[in-house]
Amino acid sequence: MYALVDAVSYYASAEKVFDPSIRNKPVVVLTNNDGIICAVDPIARKLGIPKFIPYFKIKNFLEKNNVVIRSSNYELYADLSDKMMNVISRFCDNQYVYSIDESFLYFKNYNYLIKDWHTYGHEIRKTVWRETRLPVGVGFGTTPTLSKAANHAAKKLSGYNGVAVINDDKSRKEILSRMSVTDVWGIGSKLGKRLNIQGINNAWELANQDPKSMRKQFSVVVERTVNELNGITCLNWDDIRQSKKEIFSTRSFGQRVTDYNALKAALTSHASIVGRKVRHQQSLIKRLLIFASSSPHDENYYKKSLIYEFTVPTDNTCKIAAGVSHVFNNIYLSGVNYYRCGVGAIELVDSKFQQHDLFIKDDNNPNLMSCYDRINNRYGNGLIEVAAAGQAKKWEMRRNFLSPSFTSKWSDLPKIVC
Amino acid sequence: MKVIPIYIEAGISGFESPAAEYKELGLSLDSLLIQNPNATFIGIAKGQSMQGIGIFDGDILIVDRSATVNQHDIIVANFNGCFSCKFLDKKLAQLISASPLHKPVQISPEDEFQIEGVVTRSVRLHRPAPELLSCML
Repeated sequence: MYALVDAVSYYASAEKVFDPSIRNKPVVVLTNNDGIICAVDPIARKLGIPKFIPYFKIKNFLEKNNVVIRSSNYELYADLSDKMMNVISRFCDNQYVYSIDESFLYFKNYNYLIKDWHTYGHEIRKTVWRETRLPVGVGFGTTPTLSKAANHAAKKLSGYNGVAVINDDKSRKEILSRMSVTDVWGIGSKLGKRLNIQGINNAWELANQDPKSMRKQFSVVVERTVNELNGITCLNWDDIRQSKKEIFSTRSFGQRVTDYNALKAALTSHASIVGRKVRHQQSLIKRLLIFASSSPHDENYYKKSLIYEFTVPTDNTCKIAAGVSHVFNNIYLSGVNYYRCGVGAIELVDSKFQQHDLFIKDDNNPNLMSCYDRINNRYGNGLIEVAAAGQAKKWEMRRNFLSPSFTSKWSDLPKIVC
Repeated sequence: MKVIPIYIEAGISGFESPAAEYKELGLSLDSLLIQNPNATFIGIAKGQSMQGIGIFDGDILIVDRSATVNQHDIIVANFNGCFSCKFLDKKLAQLISASPLHKPVQISPEDEFQIEGVVTRSVRLHRPAPELLSCML
């Protein structure tokens, strides 16, 4: 049996842990630079506030309804996430932390120990709430994909109070037939549309397809999903962990940027973030996308993106930064109020299985990069940096509605009235 | 062939400490003060109502959410949107101060009330800690 345990609108719930004055109020959390709403708590959801809408578009509505607005407080979320994961880990000896607020549990040979999964799920919920004040949903299923489906049911479908179990055909049919196909793990909106054309609208219909023909028409991933929906386990932690196929670092500016050097510094610093992430998953970059734009809400919207191709795939920050420099003059246009820029590795190769070129010398210098990473890991990211990125960081994150770092700064300890 | 010269040293080595075998882990205040780290949070006391039990303004409170609440425990509650530290009388549903200046507060059904945890330890800083100066305001 597998379980997926995840927090209910995690960022918004985390904001409520140390601020009892907003426990019963609608809360939304904004992304980096306070641009977009990225978390909506259940009370705010009842007001009809959608996720992923630009903050400025809905600002008046939020004000009128006394919705509490918070900037993303990553320091707090990271700390509370650790605690939540530790509490969850007490319930199973095999835990896989999948994201900041989701973790899978694999119960091998537990059938003799646990008589009733519903009760066990409620016990997990109760304990996590009691010890961390975070609400979680728990879904049990015979495969990871089914546990994810059960988790969806536990939180979104009526009749399930935070816990759902798929352990026989009846419960499987009941839940899958009430789920739209795009809510199935691994089926995105694009793929969902193609499936809809074929008359596959809900998860139950997808489960009844022939896996082999799904593989022919779509991909091996869809074949696996169909198998998983039928109780045949195809995924394990390693597959779930799969390396990313693209790595991006983009950000909208706290204040608009017009200056040549400032934009270049921002792009270089994105290049260096991409470099770090690429090295972390042991890939090399073949093609790099570099872009900068004004806001789409501006009058003369300007956007320029260029691709730089490396002759020798690289994970060396200096090389990536040099790639950015190389194309920069073709991206920058004076007079534009830049709102957003970024760098993305759009084609990656595995550094372990890299075919070397006979004539071109590989000068990626992995030793230098591992030294660079070790220093930054130890003393904090940004301690050493390519010089081109070391400009004044006035484009640092804007976080106007930031809550205190209750658990990571002494000066921000929660106050308790005596 | 590369030759790496290594010099033989006749240095001073000194004597191994006779206590080396007896070395143990140092004492940790964390492990003394915190039983269940995942369920524990730290807060700072504001106000005089708990002075009778020895909790003064500016003291550090260690609050364990996993501990069982017994009658007359010192607890932190979310009382109407505010963290409050009081004795809890479970039978009479009252929050009781440790000061004659503060009367017991009756918890009524209209109040927002949740127990946040038990105050298992409190710490007094007899000299101010620079990290906490801004909390004292």
